[in-house]
Amino acid sequence: MQDQPTALERFINGILPENPVYRQLLGMCPTLAVTGGMKPAITMAGATAFVLILANIIISLIRGLLKPHLRILVFTLTIATFVTIVDRFLAAYLYEMSKELGPYVPLIIVNCLIISRVEICASKQSVGVAVADGVGMSLGFALALASIATVREILGSGTWFGLQVLGEGWPAWGIMVLPPGAFLTLGLLLGGAEWYGQRRSRRLVRAGG
Amino acid sequence: MVRAAALAQVGKGRGIGDGMELLSSLILIFISAALINNFVLHYFVGICPFLGVSRRVDTAFGMGLAVIFVITIASFLSWTFTYFILRPEAPIPVWVWRVVGGSPETTVDLSVLSYIMYIFVIASSVQFVEMYVRKFFQPLYDSFGVFLPLITTNCAILFACLEIMKHLQDPTRLWGLGEALTLAIGGGVGFTIAISLMAGIRAELDLCDVPRSLKGAGIALIVAGIMAMAFMGFTGVDRGVERAITALVGG
Amino acid sequence: MTAMDEQGKRISYIGQAWLVILLALCFGAALALVHTTLGPRIAENKRNETYSVIPVLVPGADRDMTEELIVQSRSGRDVRVYKAFTTEGKHKGWVIPAQGQGFADRIELLIGQDVDLTTITGMYVLAQKETPGLGDYIKGEDFRDRFRGKPADRPLVVVKTDPREENEIQALTGATISSESVTDTINSAIDNLREVLLAHDSSGAGARK
Repeated sequence: MQDQPTALERFINGILPENPVYRQLLGMCPTLAVTGGMKPAITMAGATAFVLILANIIISLIRGLLKPHLRILVFTLTIATFVTIVDRFLAAYLYEMSKELGPYVPLIIVNCLIISRVEICASKQSVGVAVADGVGMSLGFALALASIATVREILGSGTWFGLQVLGEGWPAWGIMVLPPGAFLTLGLLLGGAEWYGQRRSRRLVRAGG
Repeated sequence: MVRAAALAQVGKGRGIGDGMELLSSLILIFISAALINNFVLHYFVGICPFLGVSRRVDTAFGMGLAVIFVITIASFLSWTFTYFILRPEAPIPVWVWRVVGGSPETTVDLSVLSYIMYIFVIASSVQFVEMYVRKFFQPLYDSFGVFLPLITTNCAILFACLEIMKHLQDPTRLWGLGEALTLAIGGGVGFTIAISLMAGIRAELDLCDVPRSLKGAGIALIVAGIMAMAFMGFTGVDRGVERAITALVGG
Repeated sequence: MTAMDEQGKRISYIGQAWLVILLALCFGAALALVHTTLGPRIAENKRNETYSVIPVLVPGADRDMTEELIVQSRSGRDVRVYKAFTTEGKHKGWVIPAQGQGFADRIELLIGQDVDLTTITGMYVLAQKETPGLGDYIKGEDFRDRFRGKPADRPLVVVKTDPREENEIQALTGATISSESVTDTINSAIDNLREVLLAHDSSGAGARK
């Protein structure tokens, strides 16, 4: 299949051009929920990366054996298993963070990002490409989470990764750490990404024409 | 060293002694799930259908009802499986273990299979609802299109199951089926309220002059943020309700 | 479709399910492995949450000497309480859990009392979701210290100014309802368990070897 993207293309795609949050609008639930601070955001990105990359590997290895009407079942089983593993791992070694992330780690199972990558890439291409896709998408996801968490944590608590960044006199915008702040930040950043993308395409059109 | 005392007394460990107390607890759970800790606007679950919802309030409302239906069935099954099989020291695995002659000292804990169990319960509930709707409400089924099977990936349902599981961990404070179903239905109702409101607002937004970059998901999220702020106004309502009920019951 | 075709199709469906069954077995084994290796660590983490706080709540207590009991409160509920002992085995105090409705959500606390249940020796917030920057200061040292040394044999009252009576607690500025919620929760928990704890003590289980 010559028209399928290569590993390198998959990898680069996942970071910005087809960024899971800003371009594909997938995985909104954790994006809004755990971005109150950088630490939970990065932990969640790591957990999602673990599940995505391993699920991609397994599904890619058995892609020849998948039957069309049972494949969703297989995908779900694989993803749920890896999510359980990462959840238990966090509870064992990062207990406080596990409690803070709460139900959002198991919710990775229904994160549309993973099912869609498995369906689009891993079930059709070799392990190498699947891994590249997984890593690229994970980086893109981490980037997205980090961008939102940075805004919310700095404005909302004056800290970044728990370290005081803004002076003591900064009146913390509590709303940023609360649900409304999550929605507003994501909405505005999405608007910003959209605006930037449209400017680029307009410039490209002008340069071409 | 630490010694745990006999848990024999915990047999009746549901701990809800009084009928009125149960009712008060159910009302609080319902209000909390539907309004104060709204699944969409507070817990951020069910965002995908929430953002992609149609501009028509009646379609959104229908979607909400379908979700309530699925969430109730899924929660009923989740509670049952968790209570009898999946929680630590659940009755059925313990019984099976003893029957095959296992030592009574080992803790029997199948909770590691919980997530897999829940997602399959949810997928099955969606299938069941799909079959039912297709048979009895054909036009509704057609108008739903691909959205009905997509309810499987609706975080709200899995979230309800996870909340129920959370309350089935401590043997001294177990949730009964009543509390579990109330949470599920309350969450579903809250979801329905949120997407119906959103559909109505989006219908109006289409006529407004929204900046190009914010069209679509951007403005929907900003509106959701304002709605979330509005819903924050419900904070403290459950405390007032609790006090009112307590005063009413005289306890 | 004839009956034979139907049956043929059904058999082929089951035949194709071998992959799912095999995967289920493999994943099941993997999860069992994860559970046996990480399970004890997770249980330890959960226990530590409470046990590490016991020496703080009952000064002089040795956390490893703590005894865990299930007793029945006055309202008929089963409650897990902790009997605190010194390293030498002398009964030093009690630690009881408490839950109540806060301003925003449920609040979970641990309360330390002395042996005769006359004084509160400490208070610790396990879980709360009060307003960040206002109500969530209930978990801070300052607010917790306001309960130390307060009487446990009568209800505590929240006041906004400096406390004059022994059983008065000063509210947090801007978080009166959160302060009241905590106090109400403490009052009812102490009251609910008072008799059964006193009875337990007098039944001769005072000292430990």
